[in-house]
Amino acid sequence: MDLNRRRFLQFLGAGAVGGISTAVTPAEASSVENISDGYGVLVDTTECIGCRKCEFACNREHHLTDLPLERYEDTSVFETERWLQANAYTVVNRHPNPENAAKPTFVKSQCLHCLDPACASACLVGALQRQENGAVTYDAWKCMGCRYCMVACPFQVPAYEYGNALTPQVRKCTFCASRTAQEGGLPACVEMCPQNCLTYGKRSELLALAHEKIAGNPELYQDHVYGESEAGGTSWLYLAARPFTELKFQDIGPEPIPHLTETIQHSIFKFGALPLMLYGMLGAVMRIAKGGHGRHAETTAEEEVS
Amino acid sequence: MKYLIVIACVITASAFPSAAQEHPAAGAEVPACITCHVSENPTEQDAALKACPRPNAEAAPAHESSESPDFFILDKLSDIYVPVVFPHKLHASMTEMGIGCEQCHHNNPPGPILGCSACHETKPEQANLKQPALKGAYHRQCLGCHREWDHETDCVVCHAKREPGHPVALPADSTDIMGMLHPNIEEPDIKVYKAEDMEGTPFVSFHHREHVQLFGLKCTACHQRENCSSCHNSEQQALPREREDPHQDCVRCHTEQVNNDCTFCHAETERPGFNHEQRTGFVLSTFHEGVTCTQCHPQKGAFTGQKPECNACHAADWVPTKPIDHAVTGVALDETHAQLGCVDCHTGGIGTPAVCEACHDEKPDISKWSTNAAPVRVPAPETSAPVEEHKGTGAKRYD
Amino acid sequence: MAAEISYAPVQRRFFTPGVYVLLALVLTAMALAVYRFIFGLESVTNLTNQYPWGLWIGVDVATGVALAAGGFTTSALAHIFHRKRFEAVVRPALLTAMLGYTFVGLGLMLDLGRYYNIWHPAWPTMWQGNSVLFEVGMCVMAYLTVLYSEFAPIACERFIGRVNLPGRLASWNGIVDRVLRSVNGTLGRVMVLLIIAGVVLSCMHQSSLGALMLIAPYKMHALWYTPILPLLFLMSAIAVGYPMVVFESMLASRSFGRKPEMDVLTPLSAFIPIFLGIYMVTKIADLLMRDAYPLLFEGSFQSFMFLLEMGGGVILPFAMLLSSRMRRSSRMLFSASMLVVLGVLINRVNVFIVAYRPPHTQSAYIPSVAEVLITAGLIATLMLVYRVMVTLFPILPKEHPAHLPGDN
Repeated sequence: MDLNRRRFLQFLGAGAVGGISTAVTPAEASSVENISDGYGVLVDTTECIGCRKCEFACNREHHLTDLPLERYEDTSVFETERWLQANAYTVVNRHPNPENAAKPTFVKSQCLHCLDPACASACLVGALQRQENGAVTYDAWKCMGCRYCMVACPFQVPAYEYGNALTPQVRKCTFCASRTAQEGGLPACVEMCPQNCLTYGKRSELLALAHEKIAGNPELYQDHVYGESEAGGTSWLYLAARPFTELKFQDIGPEPIPHLTETIQHSIFKFGALPLMLYGMLGAVMRIAKGGHGRHAETTAEEEVS
Repeated sequence: MKYLIVIACVITASAFPSAAQEHPAAGAEVPACITCHVSENPTEQDAALKACPRPNAEAAPAHESSESPDFFILDKLSDIYVPVVFPHKLHASMTEMGIGCEQCHHNNPPGPILGCSACHETKPEQANLKQPALKGAYHRQCLGCHREWDHETDCVVCHAKREPGHPVALPADSTDIMGMLHPNIEEPDIKVYKAEDMEGTPFVSFHHREHVQLFGLKCTACHQRENCSSCHNSEQQALPREREDPHQDCVRCHTEQVNNDCTFCHAETERPGFNHEQRTGFVLSTFHEGVTCTQCHPQKGAFTGQKPECNACHAADWVPTKPIDHAVTGVALDETHAQLGCVDCHTGGIGTPAVCEACHDEKPDISKWSTNAAPVRVPAPETSAPVEEHKGTGAKRYD
Repeated sequence: MAAEISYAPVQRRFFTPGVYVLLALVLTAMALAVYRFIFGLESVTNLTNQYPWGLWIGVDVATGVALAAGGFTTSALAHIFHRKRFEAVVRPALLTAMLGYTFVGLGLMLDLGRYYNIWHPAWPTMWQGNSVLFEVGMCVMAYLTVLYSEFAPIACERFIGRVNLPGRLASWNGIVDRVLRSVNGTLGRVMVLLIIAGVVLSCMHQSSLGALMLIAPYKMHALWYTPILPLLFLMSAIAVGYPMVVFESMLASRSFGRKPEMDVLTPLSAFIPIFLGIYMVTKIADLLMRDAYPLLFEGSFQSFMFLLEMGGGVILPFAMLLSSRMRRSSRMLFSASMLVVLGVLINRVNVFIVAYRPPHTQSAYIPSVAEVLITAGLIATLMLVYRVMVTLFPILPKEHPAHLPGDN
């Protein structure tokens, strides 16, 4: 009787919880160290003049708006902070420079393409995924529109097409995956930038370059490459002449954002151990309690099973 | 002559790509490899360049700004814009406020000064990560200063929109600061100098605005071969203008007076400005207002007097250089009479009454020609030159 | 099972003034929902790129799941711990849970941008085991199945031996009856396993629901952001289980003009201070250990909401229910239970909306009228369906004819 019962429990446990655990176990909690060296972009904000040509190039590439080039020379947009939207994958903001009013700092914002992206960890259907080349891409077909990715992103990047009733999408920088797939292809913004503020290349090389630049001109640059360690590292890296917090960069620690949730997920649900344990425990309690209280109570399936 | 220089420059500029095929420092004294390279043995495939040390320029060979070419035409990457005319000499003179040629020609090896494309790749995808491509290099050179200097970062400041068949327009004079992108210079009304060594008559009153507006002098008539550093320090603050000889600007026109008549300028007190009536007794109001000096006194330098009689100038063959509103005389002309020449009516010369009988049998009643009637302008001959606008009134661009 | 208690459909006038109010709310919400599906989320919600989750997630989904905890807590008590005296509340609690989760699904459908893809997490090629939401989704789906399976015998019980199809279909009566009997029999055989599975699944996703917001450490206010948020969610779900049963049972009694089942509810409420106390102590200890307590006095909206949640929703009802006199008073018990329910509601809203402070925000999120109306409409629908169900099926215990007060 006992044997039968145990087997049944195991069977049921496998059915109820095992299905979930099998989905979980192959996807081990990722650690940043063993992420392949993808591509990235180094943004040197000290060179940026706020011409917004990157916005133009991006909007043209992704058919977001059809404003003519001249309209991007309108500097009145800098009066208020602008942020990423469903039809703006990248925006440039101006930050006043207390030391030299004539030389404000401009910062281009877009998806940073994290090495361990919180959005991809959050997405329950795998619509957001980090590719080998470093790009975090979005598959609209898989997406169910829960917008958990937008909650998860520490940089507040993904935007949503709330106005679209039938096929809304999560919208963000694509890293111009179709362009970079070609030999020598550059992201649209990188290609357009007249100042070469944006350098596209292997992330490891860009990091080396960034540190070399800092060492070469320690008076100009902050001794910090934003994105080197933030949120476990991002593909886009930034250099700046002023503290990053003054430039409205998020102060994010080196821990990958999904670390905590994935640790909890995987330690609790590894092989479905904890749920199975609970299951077994409750089963045992049930038997004991029945012995104590329900001697006369009618039983249902249990006796038939055992 | 000017075009020859430009052509020479264009040729030099276009010669740079071929230079890029070889080592940038070829033909010159080759500096130590580690000046530019990380590795002691750089190869063509792996140049192992150092990160561009742009902000900390290293020594470049010393050259005088006067040695530099006047203009460069930058036409490497222009498909939507016309080539950029870069006033090189003007910029070279600016660098004298700073560190000289190496302000832009950073890391130039000893020998000839190299252009940007000697090191910077034309195609961004081929560029070394540590160096901006040519497009970035050009823009950083220009915008690195201009973003702070005049906040003009719009494309059209340098790039005129391409119109097919439109020739490249060169600015007239590479030393004409006001014709370039210089912000408005505030023109002083009067400058009073005090010459301490001139006892009794120490004050020299220089009426600056008068010289420009009344006498029609161009800035460059006095401000010859100026460059930025003669007015600005390296922080771009204005400096007082200093001359080796205080007479050097005046003497160009007032040669006679500077040599012989100190009191022409030096006086006991500050002097009022020029007043035609006071000086000559001839009132300029009504008919001669707005007439520039040189219209009546065409001789350059020392102005010669004119006879006060009208026909001294308005001789029988006199034609107005610009339309005259006859109504200022109290008689407005109708269309028929506006077509006539001055002496057709004023047979005795200008200033004499009109003689109607020359055409009409009897004297008509001209009192009905009210001065309030719509004035009909006497047209000027087509050959007359338009009045030149004074350049000091606004920065003019050659875009 | 039903040795001492027998259940029966409620026999009372269905349409009361209250029902008409609920119906009005339902119809308004339905119209707005149609509008939302035609013109998109933007047309009815105040959601932004910065605030992707609003009232519907905070209340309809998160609170909905928490308040459905009565189902698994009572079934654990009555079936696993064999406290048979509480059988009386198991069925209504089960119904509440079943309807609660169904409406969680409905609320989610409204909120999802691509609601037609709601089945995607169940499709193996799209499984994404790193996602907390995936685990929540799978558990909720599984638990919903369990709930319906647990409920099916009740439906069967109503019709077995009484199948009476109209007109020509009457010839099918025998077959339907046999099907019902076989379903009942099969489910009866595995019911024990389903009951345990239900408890396990509940524990899993109740806690995971708390883990959801752990992915936004830099956006969450420190008063709520704690690594033990999943544990707190589980504890608060367990703590709110019995108060919810009490609250809902008394509400139903009042609505149907029945006498409150104080003989069951008073002993049941004796458990509340235990679970609520554990939750309270854990939450306070967490606040102290993380050194987050100074934030209580920062005077912000967040600190006010936290104090409200803890003071009004946990500490006050905890203190009230400590006294057995209070537990015996139907009025006080109802008030205390309602406070706990509201406390958990505020907690979920706090965690999902108030504590969430994203960067680059132009304006704070305040739910639109339409969002509120749709949420109200969903709750109204749930209450109506509950009323229909207890009228149709044997869910509430059979009344003793002795006390049958007038309809309310």
